[in-house]
Amino acid sequence: MKTQSYKLRTFYLSLFFVILYVPILSVVLYSFNKNPSTAQWTGFTLDWYRELFSDRIILESFKVSMIVAILTSIFSAILGTASAIIAIYVTKKMEKAINGLMLLPLLVPEVALGVSLLLFFSSMRLPFGYMTLVLSHSLFCVPYVYIMVQLRLKEIDNSIIEAAKDLGAARWQIIKTIILPLVFPSIITSSLLSLAMSLDDVVISTYMSGPTSTTLPVHVFSMMRVGVTPKVNALCTLILLGTFFIIGISEVFSKKNSKKEEEEVD
Amino acid sequence: MVDMKKFKQNAPAIPILVWFGILVGIPLIFVVILSFLSRDELGNIVVRFTLDNYKRIFDPIYIKVFINSLFLATLTSFITMIIGYPVAYFTANLEKKKKALAILLIMLPFWISSLLRTYGWIILLGNTGLVNNLLIGFNIIDKPLSMMYKFSTILTGTAYMLIPFMIIAIYNSVDKLDRSLLEASYDLGAGKWKTFFKITLPLTIPGIAGGFTLVFIPSLGLFFISDLLGGGKNIFLGNLINSLITKGRNKPLAAAFSVGMIIMVLIVLFIYSRLVKRNTGGADENSII
Repeated sequence: MKTQSYKLRTFYLSLFFVILYVPILSVVLYSFNKNPSTAQWTGFTLDWYRELFSDRIILESFKVSMIVAILTSIFSAILGTASAIIAIYVTKKMEKAINGLMLLPLLVPEVALGVSLLLFFSSMRLPFGYMTLVLSHSLFCVPYVYIMVQLRLKEIDNSIIEAAKDLGAARWQIIKTIILPLVFPSIITSSLLSLAMSLDDVVISTYMSGPTSTTLPVHVFSMMRVGVTPKVNALCTLILLGTFFIIGISEVFSKKNSKKEEEEVD
Repeated sequence: MVDMKKFKQNAPAIPILVWFGILVGIPLIFVVILSFLSRDELGNIVVRFTLDNYKRIFDPIYIKVFINSLFLATLTSFITMIIGYPVAYFTANLEKKKKALAILLIMLPFWISSLLRTYGWIILLGNTGLVNNLLIGFNIIDKPLSMMYKFSTILTGTAYMLIPFMIIAIYNSVDKLDRSLLEASYDLGAGKWKTFFKITLPLTIPGIAGGFTLVFIPSLGLFFISDLLGGGKNIFLGNLINSLITKGRNKPLAAAFSVGMIIMVLIVLFIYSRLVKRNTGGADENSII
């Protein structure tokens, strides 16, 4: 009886994970296909990758995406962390208000958020480009940094901060020497997540891109609309590799930190 | 007299409030105002109050778009719940190492480009796609099945995109479950299924409600999925707003539809908060939303 339900469990989970990853793996697989159609597998090639690197529009939009993503993640890290720390010092009511505000951009569907920002920025006559992209991306990245840093802050042993206070440390000294070093790993992980989210955003970027600043996902989307070509597969595969690279860095950081903590406990 | 001490304590929060006020509050108010304005023949906005945009929403063609979107979002939520619940339940019962691996596998797609994950289904389901190739290769069919550009294709893509949210929400509530309650139920002679339906399921309703909300809201607006997998045959609210803005240049009408979409979200959030309150007696302030 027990082994039977165990088998069912293993079967169901395995089936689910296979279906979860088959679409992703098949994109990777067909990026190496010589035949431009998915109808037949005619042999292994790297031609599609070569073609990518000579496509100026793709390289240009990749550059735009990288600049926007890096600026967004730095900006969100600062704003999200500052908000999380400020939230400890304000009244309970204000903390609740900040929590609610942080959820707001995540609860409004992206299309509605994008349209509202488009209408607002264009009526303010702000030029569409890097600035509008970074501002709008930080809107959905700041909340993640805020939530992740706040979770870490709640784990901090209050007696350390009380002790520092008793020893006469000023508020900013406590923040600088105790709080920031303790939440640092969360800041790194959440800004890497921001980097990945900014690099991936299609919906809001569609409205925020300027005439000379199309982001990579917006361009990829327009390529996909035209049809299936192995070039898109190759591009997607490279993006996937980039994503894994970012995840790898964030894993290294969180591992390093948990080790450090274990040592401290010993 | 304003409480000066409290004001001083809250002063550092003012920049945060201003930031969100300018980037979320004002744009949203802007959309609401714009939805009551008209436009001239060239598509320029004219400051003249009108209810025409809202009257047009109730045009039968547009009502159908609303119903389509509502149907897609509801069905997506149900499907992800039915497929995702066992995943969450089984994962919560795995031993520690396997559990960590399973959670990693569930969370990993969050990081992976959503365009890539949608495109994968085109590679799989197209007329010359992998599924058709395999079926023809094994002589199961002799003509390719047409699986693209259907409502069910869009449903598959949307459910696939959002199922990690549902699983994580349910997993959190299954994992928190007090095991002694289940043991008590077994000791009292209840069977496996009875224990599940009488204890596990009711106690995980807040998780299910949270998952519903997290799936329902984004599924209203992911226009690129229906564009790529539906080929523009089925029109949803997200596509409509998008094409009104980018092609139709009818900003006031797009604003009215955005307001309609936000109202749908508010209704869902209201139902969610009611459900969670009823099931936890309002005690659970740390519920996921």
